[in-house]
Amino acid sequence: MADAEGSEEDASLAARAAEAVGGVVLEALETAKVGVAADRWAEALRVARDDLGLSFFSWLSAVHWANDPQVGDALSAEVTERFELLCALSDVTAGELVVFSTDLEATDPSIDSLIDVFPGADWHERECREMFGITFAGHPRPENLYLPNGFVGHPLLKSFPLLSREVKPWPGEVDVEDMPEVMEGG
Amino acid sequence: MTMAPDMVRHLSGAAVSVELETPDMTLNIGPQHPSTHGVLRLVAKVDGERAFDVQPVIGYMHRGYEKLSEVRNYPQITALINRIDWVSGYANEIPFMVAAERLMGVEPPDRAQFIRLILTEMARISSHLIFQASYPLELGAATPLFFALRDRERVLDLIESVTGGRFHPNFNRIGGVKPAVGAGPVTRKTIQDLPAGFLSETRDAMDRVLSTADQLEDLVAGNEIVLARTKDIGVIPPEVAISYGVSGPILRASGVPFDLRKVSDYLPYHLFDFEIPTGENGDCWDRWWIRLEEIRQSASIIRQAVDSIPSGPLQAKVPRIIKVPAGEIYVRAENPKGEMGYYVVSDGGLGPYRLKIRSASFSNISILPWVLEGTLVPDIIAILGSLDFVLGDVDR
Repeated sequence: MADAEGSEEDASLAARAAEAVGGVVLEALETAKVGVAADRWAEALRVARDDLGLSFFSWLSAVHWANDPQVGDALSAEVTERFELLCALSDVTAGELVVFSTDLEATDPSIDSLIDVFPGADWHERECREMFGITFAGHPRPENLYLPNGFVGHPLLKSFPLLSREVKPWPGEVDVEDMPEVMEGG
Repeated sequence: MTMAPDMVRHLSGAAVSVELETPDMTLNIGPQHPSTHGVLRLVAKVDGERAFDVQPVIGYMHRGYEKLSEVRNYPQITALINRIDWVSGYANEIPFMVAAERLMGVEPPDRAQFIRLILTEMARISSHLIFQASYPLELGAATPLFFALRDRERVLDLIESVTGGRFHPNFNRIGGVKPAVGAGPVTRKTIQDLPAGFLSETRDAMDRVLSTADQLEDLVAGNEIVLARTKDIGVIPPEVAISYGVSGPILRASGVPFDLRKVSDYLPYHLFDFEIPTGENGDCWDRWWIRLEEIRQSASIIRQAVDSIPSGPLQAKVPRIIKVPAGEIYVRAENPKGEMGYYVVSDGGLGPYRLKIRSASFSNISILPWVLEGTLVPDIIAILGSLDFVLGDVDR
């Protein structure tokens, strides 16, 4: 049920949001996406909440852009290794949703916590910290949410191997056996 | 009345006194308490009968679906995401399929969209009936369970007759739905469709669901104990719910008439008449009532859909090997428990480069430390139950 109107509307929403928070419109399909500078992250989202009415905290997560992944397919083109932090905010009337994005350095990524702007960011930031190793400055409880205490590594990094695939590659020969050339008579 | 001195001595010996000192005690609830719908653990500081600084401990059900998705192709991922919220497995699939289809520029045929919509609403009814069964039970009333589960079984039978599975249908295909399982023997030439009698049985089942909703209301709504345990308990004001990302029936119980079925176009909901019930106080009682009312609305949507379902193919034309063009999209849907969405980052390969799963229960229970602060210990159970979460949906 995709319609052409929707994408136009989203484009204008992204443009409006980018202008309000001082960011740039990024490309995404039928989704308004706005890039902001990392040092203005918390401030930009506060503006989005207060001036654009995007008060509903939908989610926060990250993408690890890496060239030589241990898991999954490699990217088709070379990228600058970095983290892209994403935060989706919505309003609760027309259902407008904007995904805000900022780039963080590949080594020791760190950014201000959103917890003063959105209390709901608490768990999302904890999840992001343990899964990607991103430090959220000012977070009151930077503890593991899912993983046991003392867990080494950050599982959603592209450099973190998936153990089950290391032990048993799949899909592959375990799935499809060669057909026997001659059927043995019973 | 004055007590005899030996009586007073006796009472103090038993450590019972009105001036009893109640120093902070740490109370560990779970991870196996039946009202936690899975394995949630709460660590509460208790002063007498009041709980402070309640910290949920989650992660016992963490299965790492976001990581697993990175090594699977799109058709394989549907089998995983069925298991996020297993009480409404079918509804989980929809936003993911829509995201992949939109990136590919594929639109499923109308009949497939109607079948998706009918099954999604059935999943909603079955999820809400589980709540109607378990919530009174957690408050101490066992009877509504039998009424609710009986009709949930009817709805699950219908889902099974189409998809072959009660909990994990894995029924959607990119560009449409799988040929229905109950439609007869599998032959290459027969075009399979809904099983015979599905539409009329659905009408009957919806009639029964509606009468059960009335029965449940009779059983629970007038019960003084239920009212005392739920009215003005666990009040969540709308602005707090919004800032925590609390969605679905909980948000609507707090008086915010926000329903993605009305504002988003992931399924053709605009063709049907239905209302968004909203609460007034945002307490446990409102959350119970909203889910009862939503059962009625969903039954009404299903009735309208089976009366107007178009004929036609079930599957759009898609390539033999599903490759999703490079791009990013976020698609969210109104699941029984709230906003469920998938942020798909595709690089044009067989599987996503990154899949962020936004599940409703995760955000919904992140409000627990706020809402449980200073409540009575018995109210913790009433509040937990009223949030209607599933730990698979929290931990993913």
